[in-house]
Amino acid sequence: MKLLFLSHVQNAQQSLKSNRMRSVLTILGMAIGVASITAILALSSGASKIVSDQVEALGGNIAVVRPGAPSETPFEDIAQFPTKQYYTASTLTNYDLETIQALTGGVSGESNAPLNTPIVATTPEFATISDLGVRDGQFLDPSLSINTAVIGAQLSVNIFGTEQSIGKIVTIKGEPFTIIGILKRTNSPINYNGVNFDAAVIVNRETSGKLNQDTLQIQQINIRSTSVETLDDVIVYTNKQLLKNHFDEQDFTVLSGDQIAQPTSQLFLAIAGTTAAVAAISLIVGGIGIMNIMLVSVAERTREIGIRKALGATNGNIVWQFIIESLALSIGGGISGYLVGYLAAFAISTFLPFDPLISWQTAALALGLSITIGTLFGLYPAIRAARKDPIDALRQYD
Amino acid sequence: MAQSSHPPVIVLNDLKKRFGIGNAEHYAIDGIDITIQKGEFIAIMGPSGCGKTTLLNILGLLDSGIEGDYELDGRHVATLSSRKQAHIRSQQIGFIFQSFNLISRLTVIENVALPLTYKGSSRLSRIKQASAMLQNFHLGEREYYMPHQLSGGQTQRVAIARALVNQPSIILADEPTGNLDSRTSHIIMEELSDLHKQGNTIIMVTHNPRLTTYASRVITMLDGKIDTDTGAKPAKKKRSPKRPLGKKQKGRKKKGAKS
Repeated sequence: MKLLFLSHVQNAQQSLKSNRMRSVLTILGMAIGVASITAILALSSGASKIVSDQVEALGGNIAVVRPGAPSETPFEDIAQFPTKQYYTASTLTNYDLETIQALTGGVSGESNAPLNTPIVATTPEFATISDLGVRDGQFLDPSLSINTAVIGAQLSVNIFGTEQSIGKIVTIKGEPFTIIGILKRTNSPINYNGVNFDAAVIVNRETSGKLNQDTLQIQQINIRSTSVETLDDVIVYTNKQLLKNHFDEQDFTVLSGDQIAQPTSQLFLAIAGTTAAVAAISLIVGGIGIMNIMLVSVAERTREIGIRKALGATNGNIVWQFIIESLALSIGGGISGYLVGYLAAFAISTFLPFDPLISWQTAALALGLSITIGTLFGLYPAIRAARKDPIDALRQYD
Repeated sequence: MAQSSHPPVIVLNDLKKRFGIGNAEHYAIDGIDITIQKGEFIAIMGPSGCGKTTLLNILGLLDSGIEGDYELDGRHVATLSSRKQAHIRSQQIGFIFQSFNLISRLTVIENVALPLTYKGSSRLSRIKQASAMLQNFHLGEREYYMPHQLSGGQTQRVAIARALVNQPSIILADEPTGNLDSRTSHIIMEELSDLHKQGNTIIMVTHNPRLTTYASRVITMLDGKIDTDTGAKPAKKKRSPKRPLGKKQKGRKKKGAKS
């Protein structure tokens, strides 16, 4: 059987070579489909990797508590993407150590700030936990007046036209705040806090009550353990403690490591999945191209099929011969499409803030898709070939 | 290879093959009974359209949908699966076609090695056996020629080499010398006759009465039936040429036996 397989491979090689132009065009059709899918997946997984990289860059000892019960399916997480929760009532309460609170509202200084500027109310420890650097001035400090704020560098430029805005007054929801610090640029609009700190205002947690009708909506609690080893204990402890606080009702989720990034990456993957599904149409077109060429090939070689059958080929032998030929086309297209897809992804990524991700999953998907397409679209022509009556087949072109 | 010929290799019992339906229906083979022993060299003669080629195709398990009974080596062919039939074609039967039927995109040696592929030999042993077989037919230097680069006689010798490479016990030849000049025909008939001496069963369809001299038994067919059969071995050669030559002129063209 193995020997027969080898001879089928040789045979396919020969017959594809003898129709070089035709084979190349068919492979091209297949390659375009695989290339577009590869490029999309490489870029999107690169984008979602940003978030998990951030978590890792912080030492992997970060855990996050989010409101809402743990969800079973990733798509529920997408629905709970942090930025979507501004107006939902949080199940988290004021008990906990480091908190971050996101609000929206008008922020104005000497000129108008863009709408939807994120207002983050948090505790001073937030800077340490999330590794936010302060470029000028200082971070929030409880010993100072509570009407102080730290703003992102980009927001400073947007409002005041300069990054040197320490001491200036910014009005948040009608309340004046003195700017005591400017954040370093993070250049990561996508992160696990769900806030673009380059364009955010950070205020004390205590003041946020004033801004939000005295109700605290805690969106996320960040916990950082002293080392990676102790993180698990911390999570267990936090869970236990919160469960007690919440009267044994699991209406919160403690996430760590990759889980933190999951909603974000899931969202990216969902977007990428939709795009890839559109790209898959071109893959199907490629598959139809293969089927077309295989049907032509079978018709051309009717006589050969007759001869082979007369010489002892079983129907199975004939099916395999043509399946392997169509597989050769589709896998050839798959491999070249994979390479071209990555070239394209790297070319596109020069305009984007992230690099495409090379993962075995993408390679496996490209290969798996091409094998599936090759088998699927090669099967009908192959069966047609095998069904030919040897006598009729031999009589052709007589 | 010569063995005792007690059980017949081929037994045909009221074999019929019908073509067409309704008004167009006609029997290309209309009730044939033959028993063929191992080691016979049979020449089948007859006018065009009398069903010779159809008979040969049926014997070679290429044509299914027959009525009546065909027993090959004691097995009823009708009961065999198509896979089994392919296996028999691969192991037991060597087919020599009138129109050579080499695969034009394969080299000579690949063509000869083709039956071995379906027997499951390794590539190296295929090439070795095919090469040895081509040597036998004095085509050693032509191994890597393409079929279209060969003369008619060479092509037919390649086709015969291919039919013999898997050492079949039954060789079916459909006008093996049909398109060849008399000298080449002679060479090829000598080859077949050698094979016969080695104990192979040979069934040959021919138009040429002269070739029947090589055969041990001559069967003449007419309108899908057996007209004359020289039986085991009596030398009835004089009679058989006459009939087909006489009938040839009015030989009816029938769908069943294009050759």
